Amino acid sequence: MITVQNLKKYYGSGNSQVKALDGVDLTVAKGEFAAIVGASGSGKTTFLNIIGGLDIPTEGKVVVDGVNLAGLREEQMAVFRRKKVGFIFQNYNLVPTLTVKENILFPLDLDGSKVNESFFAEIVGLLGLEEKLKVYPAMLSGGQQQRAAIARAMIAKPSVILADEPTGNLDSRNGQNVAGLLKMTAQVYHRTLVMITHNLELAQMADRVLYMEDGRIVSK
Amino acid sequence: MASINLPEQQKKGESDMDAIVKVTNLKKYYGNGEALVKALDGVDLEIERGKFTAIVGTSGSGKSTLLNMLGGLDVPSEGSVRIGNQELARLTAEQATIFRRKQIGFIFQNYNLVPVLTVWENIIFPISLDARKPDRKFIMEIVNLLGLESKLDSFPNQLSGGQQQRVAIARALATKPSIILADEPTGNLDSRTSDGVISLLRVTSEQFHQTIVMITHNPEIAAHADRVVHIEDGRIVADAS
Amino acid sequence: MLANNNLKICHRLMWREFRFHKGCSILLVTALTLVSMLCTFSFAIGFMVRSGLKYSYQIQYGSTSHILYYGLNSVQAASVARHADVKETVRLKVLGLLSDDMLGYRNVKLAVADDGWAAATEAVPVSGRMPEADDEIAMDELTLQSLAIPRKEGAKVQLRWTPVDGGEERVDTFYLCGWWKSPMGYTETCAWVTPNAAGRLCPDAPDYLDLGVTLYRPRNLDRQAQEILREQGADKVPYTTNLAYNRARRQRMNEKAFPFYLMNIAVVVCGILMVYNIVRISTVQNARFYGRVKSLGMSPRQIGRFIVVQAAYLCLPAIPAGWLSGFVLYMVTAPYVLLGTGGEHPAFLFLNPAPFACSALLTWFTAFTACLLPARLVSGSRPAEAMKYTGLSAAIPAEDRSGAKKRRCRVPFMALYGIRRDKKKAVFAAASMCLSMTLLCGFWTQYISTDEEKYMREIAYCDYLIADASTANSLQRYNPASHSVTPELIEEIAGQKAVTAIGTVRTMEIPMYADEAGRAPIVESFEGENEEGVVRKAYMSGSPDWVSGYEKFRTTGEYIGIASGIDGLAESVILSEGEYVEGVYDAERFAAGNYVIAAGASETSFVSTPPIGSSVEIGGRQFKIMAAVSYKGHIITGADSREAAFNVSYYMPVQVFEELFPECGIRNVLVNIDHNSQKEFEEFLSKKIRDTGIAVKMRSDYQWEFGNALFHNYVIPIFVGAVLFLIGILNFANALVTGVLIRKKEMAVYESLGMTQLQLRRLLVGEGLMYGGMMTAFLVPAVSLMTWLWTGWWAVYSASAWCVTWKYSLLPMWIALPVLLVLVMVIPLGCLHMIRKESVTQRLQIVE
Repeated sequence: MITVQNLKKYYGSGNSQVKALDGVDLTVAKGEFAAIVGASGSGKTTFLNIIGGLDIPTEGKVVVDGVNLAGLREEQMAVFRRKKVGFIFQNYNLVPTLTVKENILFPLDLDGSKVNESFFAEIVGLLGLEEKLKVYPAMLSGGQQQRAAIARAMIAKPSVILADEPTGNLDSRNGQNVAGLLKMTAQVYHRTLVMITHNLELAQMADRVLYMEDGRIVSK
Repeated sequence: MASINLPEQQKKGESDMDAIVKVTNLKKYYGNGEALVKALDGVDLEIERGKFTAIVGTSGSGKSTLLNMLGGLDVPSEGSVRIGNQELARLTAEQATIFRRKQIGFIFQNYNLVPVLTVWENIIFPISLDARKPDRKFIMEIVNLLGLESKLDSFPNQLSGGQQQRVAIARALATKPSIILADEPTGNLDSRTSDGVISLLRVTSEQFHQTIVMITHNPEIAAHADRVVHIEDGRIVADAS
Repeated sequence: MLANNNLKICHRLMWREFRFHKGCSILLVTALTLVSMLCTFSFAIGFMVRSGLKYSYQIQYGSTSHILYYGLNSVQAASVARHADVKETVRLKVLGLLSDDMLGYRNVKLAVADDGWAAATEAVPVSGRMPEADDEIAMDELTLQSLAIPRKEGAKVQLRWTPVDGGEERVDTFYLCGWWKSPMGYTETCAWVTPNAAGRLCPDAPDYLDLGVTLYRPRNLDRQAQEILREQGADKVPYTTNLAYNRARRQRMNEKAFPFYLMNIAVVVCGILMVYNIVRISTVQNARFYGRVKSLGMSPRQIGRFIVVQAAYLCLPAIPAGWLSGFVLYMVTAPYVLLGTGGEHPAFLFLNPAPFACSALLTWFTAFTACLLPARLVSGSRPAEAMKYTGLSAAIPAEDRSGAKKRRCRVPFMALYGIRRDKKKAVFAAASMCLSMTLLCGFWTQYISTDEEKYMREIAYCDYLIADASTANSLQRYNPASHSVTPELIEEIAGQKAVTAIGTVRTMEIPMYADEAGRAPIVESFEGENEEGVVRKAYMSGSPDWVSGYEKFRTTGEYIGIASGIDGLAESVILSEGEYVEGVYDAERFAAGNYVIAAGASETSFVSTPPIGSSVEIGGRQFKIMAAVSYKGHIITGADSREAAFNVSYYMPVQVFEELFPECGIRNVLVNIDHNSQKEFEEFLSKKIRDTGIAVKMRSDYQWEFGNALFHNYVIPIFVGAVLFLIGILNFANALVTGVLIRKKEMAVYESLGMTQLQLRRLLVGEGLMYGGMMTAFLVPAVSLMTWLWTGWWAVYSASAWCVTWKYSLLPMWIALPVLLVLVMVIPLGCLHMIRKESVTQRLQIVE
């Protein structure tokens, strides 16, 4: 599902060059749940951004669900982001002027697709957001916003779900619930799930744990 | 400017077992009718001087609201908050601000340092607001403890997240406040740095007999404190030492 | 991959943005309304000025047609109408000319009623209608007045007229069925009868039409007119081309409208700046917004749609509101700009959709650019970067501030650091203030420097200029046979105690001839170049009559000379106090009667008369030219004939003139009085000349004209300067507001750390004063210098330099600066008050 070859991302040049990613090779199979663990500054978020089409690599090849990201124009990239990838951001990235329900359905609205009402109800129920659908993000606590962001990532039934510290602001009970939900979604709907976390317990729930350090994947 | 009567700061060493924070039947409601939100629904709490207390709760449990009450940033709908001998609800906004400057230290989740000031200037900022002279010896002690000696002339945007949080801690300590309120102090830090910061908080609490109240959603972080108070749906549900 | 792009989401998103940012949106709409209003106003005024001038030329010419042909037959006329370049034609079949003396020198043609021609020359009956019955006639009011015919339907009209093909004068009776009044009919107009009546009156009339032609492209009218004639094989047919399309006149029109076009540009630029400044309040948030929605999969096309819809909804209220308010402004100021339009309000005279269309376009352009800006800022970045957009050009400079340990952190120092954060905004505000301040000070200086004394000395040669009845109006041609000013009247006036000096002017046009020797110096002057390298005769290209008169003179030596008998005050003004091109004035020898003094042009730098010492024949007698003096046109009133557009005047003593032309009346009387007796004298004079048709131009009239012209000249520029200044202030205020609103969270942090209200206020006021202080330190020298340079140049080199006494003044700036300094303190405080409506905790939660 995801194939990455010799992925490099450098910022700047000369002495002050920062090597965020320094040659990453990776293959993630369809339906697999991969966790990425590493210290801050190891390049995890950069890596996830590139796979999700939010950033472009300096060097290397990225193929997601058969699509070579290098060859995409802006329009196609936008469609890729809304249909193929469900991204859960570290800072939630909810649109402040839309209600929770509208935020969740945003990718579908962009696409003009119709909502699967029962699926929507299911996800909302699982994340405990039924009461908050008409509320604006400013009125929600951090954790509630995070759950809304997770719902949004799942609603379009993307092939790949990329989660950047999705349980960061949740307490352990909720965090485990969410991780479990993500894993279940991956299995039941055959979605590929790549999750960044610093919580080793959650990482253990994955099929595969990858360690990143200094822009590379290292063995345990 | 009218003179403001403030309670005298309690001298150190005096009655260490006193409750420095006393919260009685604290309620905070937002909105009304159907849209009524009960952020705090009757909280009673006493915090001893010199202790490191953690308040744990899920998102929406009311812990942030409680912290705002303790810091005088918000006014309760009902109930009382006492810090030292001062009943916060009786202060005007102006008096509350001055009280806050002298008696309360804040540590925010996203540091909130002043970008145009150096580290040193940030640390003494609340003291300068008071037009007082900083106690250089005391502040250098804090700086050394937090490992910031080499960074005093740097600007916040030149520091890492962990370093910025340490500056924030120094800032909170510099005024020798009655209590320090920390709002998710490790929220933006990775686990290794988080551990470092929490240990520092412990150490300062012990070394300077500083009362620290920290809120967090993470029970592991909370476990570092002397006392863990659980809050849920605006009420205290558990209290463990 | 299929791209299903839903555009409805863009609309919903945009609506929410508006709802959530009401304050900002309202501000934007207001700013756009202002832009629309100012554009509408400035374009409308500029357009009106240009059209007004063009219209006045058309009035002079007498028709709106581009070319007038005199004497085509109907076949030719039809053929011309079918010509490819010809848009439309109007025909006139003239039966004859009214020949009543009372009409003076006005040409009133009896013609077959033609709606087209009437429309083109504004001769359409406004009351009543065109004739339908054979005994009906429609005429203009001026003619009715001259012939003492009441303006009543059915009034009896007895006309004396001469048929066009020669023949005797005849009298015919008609009944009035309609009438109109129009400035275009001053010198020449028509009286309409039906075709049947025409057939009855002139059964053998030749096939002879006047044709008015309107072209598709009115350029090079002369060339096109000739071409059309050539194609008809009718090269000899006389024609004239419309003054309004004359190249020199067109230049004049553009020159006059130019300041208004300049105002347009200034308005647009300032409007854009203003909107840009407002948008910058939330640029960072907006840029991040675009980063955010891009990362969620919003395609470029959807983003484009979002921007377009946003701009459109902003324009929706702004453009009509701007149109309305701009139009009101236009209506209020138009009468000051376009003088002498009679009864109708000038604002409606030249109303045209063009200014409204232009302003709508520019407002849309401004709105679209403003909405586009934040998206453009991040259009090149990947969404990941865009979401973290900060807008800060560089990190806070890491100055070397070691030793900062020693320094206490005081509030004023923080103020200084705050200003350094955003240099671009400060530079913009300073530049626009400098420009508008300079304009205001400059125009104000010009206004107070224009000297009435100097003006009067050049323009008004005497306290009272009494004019013969036939010259009461400047367009009316002087009738030498008119004796409204009698010698008895002059004696009576001269007998008044108050009168200190009196003189008379008589004129008579006579055909004259100059031989080679006589012609040469004049031709040389006009064919040659002046010191700026321009051929002298080119200056007169705006007056085709002068050009044809000069050409005739150059080729054949024939020209019109104006013999002028002067005495008393007139003699001293023209001759004793005159400026001489050549020769010297010897009063005794002049009085002897064998000499004349010639005057051509008003300039003394070149020769415009036959050489002195040469002989000219006037009225059968020979005279020698004693000297050549510069021509003073303001001595006489009324117009001369068109053939005399190019002429040479010959001044002689009154006695000699009376011998040559005993029948000629007195054209003008010049009177100077003791100013203390002004009131009595004016009472006496008014009583004396009542009902005689005689007109008087009084010194106070000149003064009023001066004041009026001065006001007229400067009211618009000062108004424009004030508007620009207002925009500058708004920009400035806006920058102040922005500076505070952006820092909502920062203020909350300070408050939570213990900064009291007083300290916050001191911080903002300190920042404001520092900002204001820096502005003042920059503005005062910059504006002073620029104003000094500009008005200094103007006082010496501009066209109005002759009536200027330079009085450098910076009054507008001294008024404006305190206002600025007050704003600089009040506005941040006001914003602070607004910010604090949100509680500290709310503001702390703002995610950056």
